[in-house]
Amino acid sequence: MSTSAVRVRPSLGRARWIAAIVVFIVLAVIPLLLNDLTFFVQTVLAAVVVTGLSLFMGYAGQVSLGQSAFVAVGGLTVAALTVNLGLPPLLTLVLAPILGAAVAALIGWPLLRLRGHYLAFGTLAVLLIIQTVMATVPFLGGGIGIFGIPPLSIGPIVFSGQLPYAYLALAALAGAMAVAHNLVNSRFGRGIRALAGSESAAASSGVPVLRSKVVVFAVAGAFAGLAGGIGAFFTPFVSQDTYPPFTSFGYVIMAMVGGLGTLWGGVVGAVVLSLWLQLLSTLASLPGLPPTAGPILQYAGYGVVLVVFLLLLPRGIVPSVGDAVDRWATRRRLPPIPADEQEEERVDAR
Amino acid sequence: MMLSVDDLVVRYGAATALDGVSLHVDDAELVALVGPNGAGKTSLVNAISGIVKPVSGRIEVGGRVAQVPEGRQMFGELSVEDNLRLGAWRHRPKDPTPVYELLPDLRRLRKQRADTLSGGQQQMVAVGRALMAQPDLLVVDELSLGLAPMVASQLVEHLATLNRTRGTAVLLIEQEIGLAFELCSRAYVLESGRIKAEGPTAELRDAPELQDAYFGGLDLSGTGE
Amino acid sequence: MQALLTYIISGLALAGSFALIGSGMVVVYRVTHVLNFAQGMLAVFGAMISYSLLGGMLPHGLAELVAVICCAVIGVAIGVIAIGKPGTPPMISLLITLGIGMIAQAVVIAIWGQDPVSPPGISGSIQILGVNLATQRLLVFLVALVTFALLSLFFARTDIGKALTAAAANPRAARLVGIHPLAMGLVAFAIAGALGGLAGVLIAPTTAVSVSSDLPLVLSGFAAAIFGGLRSPWMTFLGAVILGVVGQLVAAYGNGSYQTPIALLMMLVIMIVRAGRMATEEAK
Repeated sequence: MSTSAVRVRPSLGRARWIAAIVVFIVLAVIPLLLNDLTFFVQTVLAAVVVTGLSLFMGYAGQVSLGQSAFVAVGGLTVAALTVNLGLPPLLTLVLAPILGAAVAALIGWPLLRLRGHYLAFGTLAVLLIIQTVMATVPFLGGGIGIFGIPPLSIGPIVFSGQLPYAYLALAALAGAMAVAHNLVNSRFGRGIRALAGSESAAASSGVPVLRSKVVVFAVAGAFAGLAGGIGAFFTPFVSQDTYPPFTSFGYVIMAMVGGLGTLWGGVVGAVVLSLWLQLLSTLASLPGLPPTAGPILQYAGYGVVLVVFLLLLPRGIVPSVGDAVDRWATRRRLPPIPADEQEEERVDAR
Repeated sequence: MMLSVDDLVVRYGAATALDGVSLHVDDAELVALVGPNGAGKTSLVNAISGIVKPVSGRIEVGGRVAQVPEGRQMFGELSVEDNLRLGAWRHRPKDPTPVYELLPDLRRLRKQRADTLSGGQQQMVAVGRALMAQPDLLVVDELSLGLAPMVASQLVEHLATLNRTRGTAVLLIEQEIGLAFELCSRAYVLESGRIKAEGPTAELRDAPELQDAYFGGLDLSGTGE
Repeated sequence: MQALLTYIISGLALAGSFALIGSGMVVVYRVTHVLNFAQGMLAVFGAMISYSLLGGMLPHGLAELVAVICCAVIGVAIGVIAIGKPGTPPMISLLITLGIGMIAQAVVIAIWGQDPVSPPGISGSIQILGVNLATQRLLVFLVALVTFALLSLFFARTDIGKALTAAAANPRAARLVGIHPLAMGLVAFAIAGALGGLAGVLIAPTTAVSVSSDLPLVLSGFAAAIFGGLRSPWMTFLGAVILGVVGQLVAAYGNGSYQTPIALLMMLVIMIVRAGRMATEEAK
C-alpha cells in the first residue's frame, strides 16, 4: 500500500512547531469551556489510538481491522488488576501500554509475514475473541463487566472528576505524537521509511522487514493500550460492549481520512470523524424520525465517508492539504522548480 | 504495410525506454528486431499491443496483430486445448483444428495441463494460442529464451512454414541473433532505446553496430548449424 | 444418538452456508486479489429479500431464485465500486468493501429493521435409518453440495469459466488474448453475490438472520476459505464442514454459542501454522 512518507520540508519546519504548540494550547483550553467532557476525552483517546494505527498502516502497509483489541487489552489491564486484584492504579496504567505492545507483538510476529488480509482479519478475530472472553470469564467481566474502577492516583494526588483525565488524555496524545515523530526520524525510522517505499528494495538494502513491521505494530499496540487504560479510569467501567467492532472500523476510517503515515493524521481523522458521528447522532434524534434512524445514519455515515475518501481522496486530508500548501508556497515565494527536480519530487511523493 | 512505427517514445517515469524508434513490417514479411537485454524490446512489444501508452510517436497496424509473449505466459491450470481456445476469446471460430494442422504435436498434447509441459512445448502452445486469432502479423517476443537451440530452431521452422503457407507476417524479437537472421530477411538492431542499424540480414551480419550493441560477445552461430 | 446426529446435521447445514460464503470470497479473490468484506451482507440480503418475497405471496422456489438473482446484481454493484476505478490496490478495495458492508447494514436496517427474520422453509423431518433429520437442514447441505459441483463444472467446462480461471492464473496473458480483467472481476463478483445470496436464503429458515449476522458469517466464510488456502473451493467446503460441525458440537456439549469464536480460533490457528510454514521455508 502506498503511503505519503514524511517529507522533511525545511522551509516550513519552525512554522510547524509553532502550529503544533498553538493547537495543543487550543486543545488544553477546550475542556475548561465544556460541561461534559465525555466526547472530548473519547475523541482525544481515539486520536491516540489512530496516531499509532496510522503510523503502522502508513509504514508497514497493512491494515489492522481489530485495533480495538489492544485498546481492550489496556482497558482490561486497568480494570481487572485494580478491581479484582487491588493493584495500585498508577501501576496498572503503566502496564496498560506494555501489555498492549506485548499482545500486538505476539499477534504480529506470525501474521505480519503473510499477505495483508491475514492481519486484517486476524486482529478482528482477536478482538471478537476478547469480547467473548470478557463475556464469559468472571475475572474479566463475566458478561456483566467490571465496575467501580478506582480513580487514578499519583501519590497523594487523586484524579477525580472529568477534567484531570482530559489533560491526561492530552498528555498521552502529545507523548504519542512525540514518540511517533522521533521514531520516524530516527535511524530505525530510515528503515521503515524505506519499507514504505518498496519492501523488496528495503529488504535488499538490509532492512529487517519483519522485525521493523512488528516494532511499529507493537508501538501502535502500546498507544492503543494506553488509550484503553485511560479510558477505563475515565468511564469508569469496562464490559464487552465497550469495544465493539464498529469502533475498531472507525479507527481505520479515521486513519484513512486523516492520512496514513502522517503525524497529524490521527488527530485530524479522529476529530473529523467524531464530529461527523456527533452530527449524525444529533440528526437522528430529531423528532419524527424512527428509533432506527440512529444506527442507520451511523453505519451509512461511516461507510459513505470511507468509500468516498478511498475513491476520491485516498491519501487523506493531511497530505492533500500539505500538497496544496506546498504548491501555494512554491508559487508565491520560490522560483519555479526545474523540470528534472520536479520529477524527483513526484517520485518521492508516491 | 502491416506495421508501421514512427518515432515512438516510451517512458516509465523518468526513465526512457524507447527514444524515437521507427520501423516497419510489410505484408507477409519476416522481420527481426535484435538487441541485448534492456535495449527496450519488451517496451516496444507492449506499445504495439497497447498495454503501454507511448509519450509520443505513432503506431499503425494494417491488420490483426497477435503476440507470442515473453516467457510463454501459459494458463497453467488449463489444458493445451483450453489455452488455444482462449486465444480465440475475441474471435470466431474457436476450433483449434487449423492450429493442430500447423503444429501437430499440440494435437497429441491437447488434454494435458499446460504447466506440465516442457519449455519448448509451452512455447509451441503460446505460438498456437496467438495463431487462434488468425492474425496477419505475429509479434514473437524472445522465443528462444530458456530453450535448447535445436528446439528453438524447430519452432522457427514452423514460423517459416506459417509465413509460406498463410502469408502471416512475423516480427521476431530476439536476443539470439543467429536464430533471428536464420528466419528473417530484414532486421533492425535496437540498443538503449534507439535503432542503431537496419537492413537486409545478409548485410547486417557483419555490421559494426551489431558488435557494439552486444559489446564484444557475438554469437552468430547460436543455432548449432 | 438422535441428539448427536441432530447436532451434526445442524452443523452440516451451517457448513453449507459457510462454504457458499467462503467460496464466494475465493472466487473473487482468485480473479481480483480482493477480499470481499461485504460477502456476509450478501447472505443477509439473500435472507431478507427471500423473506419479503415469500411474505408477498411469491411461491417457494421462485422467491428464492429471485432473491439469489438480486444478490448477484448487488454483487456486481459492489464490484463496480470496489474495483471499477483503475489502479485501485487490493488492500484499498478490501477497505472499500468494508465501507460498502456498513452502508449495506444501514440499508437493511432501513428496509427490514434490526430484528432477525426467519422466512418459512420446508418444515418437518425425514426419517433415515430410524433417525429423524430436519428436512430444511438437510436441504441446505445438499443444495450447497450440488452448487459446488455445478460451480466446478462451470469453471472446467464453460468458456467463461475457463476465462475466469485464466484471468486468475495469468492476468497478463489473459489481457493479451483480449480477456478484460475488469469484466472478469465483475463476473466473479456476480458469482460471489449469487453464492452469498444463496447461503442466506438457505440458512435463514433454520437460523434467523439479521444485520448482526454479518460479521459472524463473513468471518466464518473467511475461516473456511483460508482452510482452502484461498484457492481451492473443495477445501473451502471441507473447512466449512469442520467449522460447522465442531462449532455445533461445542455449543451443544459446552455451553453457550461458541460458533463464531470457534471459527475465529480455527482461523488464527490456520494463519499461524501457515506463517510458521513460511518461516521454515525461508530458513532453508
